[in-house]
Amino acid sequence: MEKLYCTIFIVDISQNPDEVETISSRIQQLIEDHGGIIKTNNRWGKRRLAYALAGKTHGSYVEIEFNASSRLNIPKILEGEFRLNDRVLRYMTYIIEKEELVQRAKNAGKARSVKEETPQPETPRKEEESSEAAEVAVEETNEISETSEANEISEASETEAQPAEETTEPLTGNEPENEKKEEGE
Amino acid sequence: MRGMKMMHRKKRICRFCESGDIFIDFRDEKRLVRFLTEQGKIVPRRTSGNCNQHQRQLAQAIKRARHLALIPFVSDIPR
Repeated sequence: MEKLYCTIFIVDISQNPDEVETISSRIQQLIEDHGGIIKTNNRWGKRRLAYALAGKTHGSYVEIEFNASSRLNIPKILEGEFRLNDRVLRYMTYIIEKEELVQRAKNAGKARSVKEETPQPETPRKEEESSEAAEVAVEETNEISETSEANEISEASETEAQPAEETTEPLTGNEPENEKKEEGE
Repeated sequence: MRGMKMMHRKKRICRFCESGDIFIDFRDEKRLVRFLTEQGKIVPRRTSGNCNQHQRQLAQAIKRARHLALIPFVSDIPR
């Protein structure tokens, strides 16, 4: 069966930054040689790792999507290659499900609509988006000035928290503060 | 008694259902981090309020993200 695969791997670039190029081209070559068709080749660039891999704190992420028949067994071939190459810190190959594609299309649509509206997307899109936007704003300000950081965050959290409580409170009645603890038990 | 207790509970809604997501991407770790404890454990469904389907997807996404070193398996708490 024809399937859409995605392979992501982390390349160690501490010694040679060109390694990304050589390895990703090698992987692409391998996929094509075995009958796969490359759809996208996406480089995330250098990133900090959440935990050390082989003593390295940074790595470069490469993401390749390709179409192939499941009979060709390409993931296994790739795994063999990744295992042999000690510049590859981590790798993962998985089948992209239909849901993911639908979600991507959705997100792309959303991003576009936000861009078109440019000034402020004040559409009634629930609290979550607005809170996210607030977070982003807070982060941006952090970069600029760290002194006003605390104020900003407290303000943001207040503005976020209050409307949410107001909307849900009437149902609950009393003891709104201990709720979380109670629920945890 | 039980009924009374239920009355006081706030009804939680699945965040992912609310936003209408079908798939939770492991690539945006900022979103995943919300559903982790300080130590890096996955927050249970009874606390986060996620629905069954989304909690499962979330768990898978978190595990994938952990494997790719996007989010930590464990984060130490300084004492």
